[in-house]
Amino acid sequence: MSLNIFICGVGGQGLVLLTTVIGNACAKSGIKVVTGEMYGLSQRSGAVSVHLRIGEDAFSPLIPYGKADILLSLEAIETLRYIEYLKKDGVVLMNKRIMHPPIETSKLITEKGSKYINLEDIVAKLKGWTQNIAVVDALELAKKSGNVRTENSVFLGCLSALEVFGVDEKSIRESISEAVPKRTIEQNLKAFSLGKQSAHDSLCTLVPCRPLL
Amino acid sequence: MVLKDVLSKETKSAFMLGNEAIVRGALEADVKVVAFYPGAPTSEVLDIFSAALGSFDYQMEIATNEKVALEVCAGAAFAGIRSLTAMKSVGTNVASDTLFVLGYTGVKGGLVIVMADDPHAHSSQSEQDGRFFAPNTYIPMLEPSSPQEAKDMVKKAFEVSERHRVPVIIRTVTRINHQSGIVQLDEMSRSEFKKVKWKELNEEYTTLGSVARQKKLRMLERTAKIAEEFDRSEFNFTKQADSDVGVITSSVSYLHVLESLKMLKLQNEVNILKLGTTYPLPKKTIENFIRNLKKVIVVEELSPYLEKELCAIAKDTNPDLKVFGKKSGNFSEAWEYNPDIVAKGIASALDLEYGGHETIVEEASRLKEGIPDRYPTFCAGCPHRGTFVALNRALKIQVAKGQEHYFSNDIGCYSMWIFPPISRGDSSLCMGASVGVANGLSHVIEERIVAVVGDSTFFHASIPALVNAVHNGNKFMLLVLDNSVTAMTGQQFNPSTEFIAGGRQGKKISIENICRAIGVEFLEIVDSYDVKSNVEVFRKALDYDGLSVVVSRRECALYGDRNKRRRGEKIVPFYVDKEVCKRPYVCLRTFYCPAYELDEDRQPRISPELCDGCSVCVRLCPLQSVKRTEVKA
Repeated sequence: MSLNIFICGVGGQGLVLLTTVIGNACAKSGIKVVTGEMYGLSQRSGAVSVHLRIGEDAFSPLIPYGKADILLSLEAIETLRYIEYLKKDGVVLMNKRIMHPPIETSKLITEKGSKYINLEDIVAKLKGWTQNIAVVDALELAKKSGNVRTENSVFLGCLSALEVFGVDEKSIRESISEAVPKRTIEQNLKAFSLGKQSAHDSLCTLVPCRPLL
Repeated sequence: MVLKDVLSKETKSAFMLGNEAIVRGALEADVKVVAFYPGAPTSEVLDIFSAALGSFDYQMEIATNEKVALEVCAGAAFAGIRSLTAMKSVGTNVASDTLFVLGYTGVKGGLVIVMADDPHAHSSQSEQDGRFFAPNTYIPMLEPSSPQEAKDMVKKAFEVSERHRVPVIIRTVTRINHQSGIVQLDEMSRSEFKKVKWKELNEEYTTLGSVARQKKLRMLERTAKIAEEFDRSEFNFTKQADSDVGVITSSVSYLHVLESLKMLKLQNEVNILKLGTTYPLPKKTIENFIRNLKKVIVVEELSPYLEKELCAIAKDTNPDLKVFGKKSGNFSEAWEYNPDIVAKGIASALDLEYGGHETIVEEASRLKEGIPDRYPTFCAGCPHRGTFVALNRALKIQVAKGQEHYFSNDIGCYSMWIFPPISRGDSSLCMGASVGVANGLSHVIEERIVAVVGDSTFFHASIPALVNAVHNGNKFMLLVLDNSVTAMTGQQFNPSTEFIAGGRQGKKISIENICRAIGVEFLEIVDSYDVKSNVEVFRKALDYDGLSVVVSRRECALYGDRNKRRRGEKIVPFYVDKEVCKRPYVCLRTFYCPAYELDEDRQPRISPELCDGCSVCVRLCPLQSVKRTEVKA
């Protein structure tokens, strides 16, 4: 297996945990994995990103431009910020959620005619790159699972819906159970299942997906 | 942070961050004393050691600055005890006074210094290339390219350090510290911590004048011996190809080279020399590598450190060798590399067609037009936001009265004041320099100077400059932002916290008592959230004809949240009552809280997932439209 995943989002969304879950599952399954992680500073609300590379012939911790198979984005605007890493016709797994940076909001009240970027704009732009886009309402699914802080597990589920993601579901679920606080294991696993369903529904006619159990 | 793998007794494969691998390596090497001042990208080394303190027998300090941290480790090493410190690139500047002398005095116990450079200045004020510290101090240096190598090198560094009685630098870059990969865990055999008898060691560590001159000679002999040893080191290796072209590289650039040769389909066409011991350089290894080559490409980030050494060696060994690197223009001294940059450089050196990544990046940038930037910003609930709203108001009033200002910023979360939408700051240099330069400016500019430091920066490097100001009668306003922890690097404890490494009880040092003791006459302590009354205090401090110090105090929101969760307290978000709000936008015009956005009616809305419940916006709203969410019992 050789797979490049570019993961991005906003500080505080649990990207580090998401990366750790995949990495630990790979370590257990004897799969080579390397990452390059950028958390910015320790504040919340800044842009964060992770290059995650699976397979024997992945050397650099950074994905070459246009070589990511999957762009996984926990915040909609951030998807566009790193689009150069995604290969043409690659898969986008993106959150429906937009977190408008304060600079954008302050422009809205100081500059006449200025408006927020919206989901439709973002998806339309992304379609200039790929048609394989799953827009996931991760916050809603996280709430449904009983814990708003499980958006990252929703996306682990999304990944597991894809055939190209060769880490088996069982080890990902085990790895989640080991990485999250004990009292939130069930919520995270539920979020995982909801995420898998959601990505499957959006993508199964476009790219090879695993059957839902 | 996967503490479990760092602590594991098992010998297995684990997925580890570079910083975790460094800690694991040091623990496997039975390190006994560690000390740090936090700084990206090394902060996790401190955090992991602090979290592991309960599980192993070692002494740990979160020191006031990097120099003190190094001295703590040096003290232990003088007595034959293994010690390790880690610091960011610019932290080494602070520690360097001691570092230079340690080259002369040497050590007995292994002393390992992890020095993390930050090409691209991701989280630093400069792209400083710390490799030059090694030849300058005659201290050997190892450079890993991966977490596995980082762990192996830390262990080996302790051996080299003890064999040659000299500290050893492990030089990393951000892409090593923050690179994760599979690491093989070795056996963890820890010995019991025991004090030693100094007298029985029969050691001395002095150096001055004639003693220094003698030690200099021994330092040169030592370096020659280490160079010989490094010529046999497993950390320098070659990948042979049937070709007269070679690449010399080290650190993360080695991984980019492998990747880019794959991209260029040159995988078995080019010889590679990967250097792990970059001071002293393994001269014979390099000579052997270049002897029969026609072209050599040097791939290294930042300064041409290897390139210059190579050129000197080639002059004797292979004068016809063509060297491609920075001097030839194939690579830049600016910014960090990636596989595409390295592929382009190698292709240009070999006159090969390279499709290039510019097209794809250009196409992407067209798609990105119009998307908003996401600068680092103050978290929801951050006390600095309240402080700055009040200070801004005070400054505005003063400007209306005819007083103008110079804003002297420093290193900490408050550094972000230079980013939009706030964009304020006349200067911002390095730890504590805001106070230092305020001294000089006070002699030469007409404006009132406002210098800012945080609590950690105050203790780290500001006190000498403040003493200087009092002693010389220099006039400016100093604002100390005391949020109890070193927030920017991950809320580590510092002298303003009542805790020390491992969460143990420590003694909290009072910033105001220090100010009083040195004779500061204008001193006020305020609550950062108390915006309205703080405006008046700041105005008085600005008007004061002398040195005025205001301590704005409130714990870091992230640290506070963690404490609240621990105590089982809920964080209750606020909301904007649409019936009451008449959209004067005071909240959005001055406060810039990331929890705020506009809804479809252009009405301010607070995102309940992001709101920290700090209530500062409640105090700012002239219409009292911000209300606390009702909590169901």
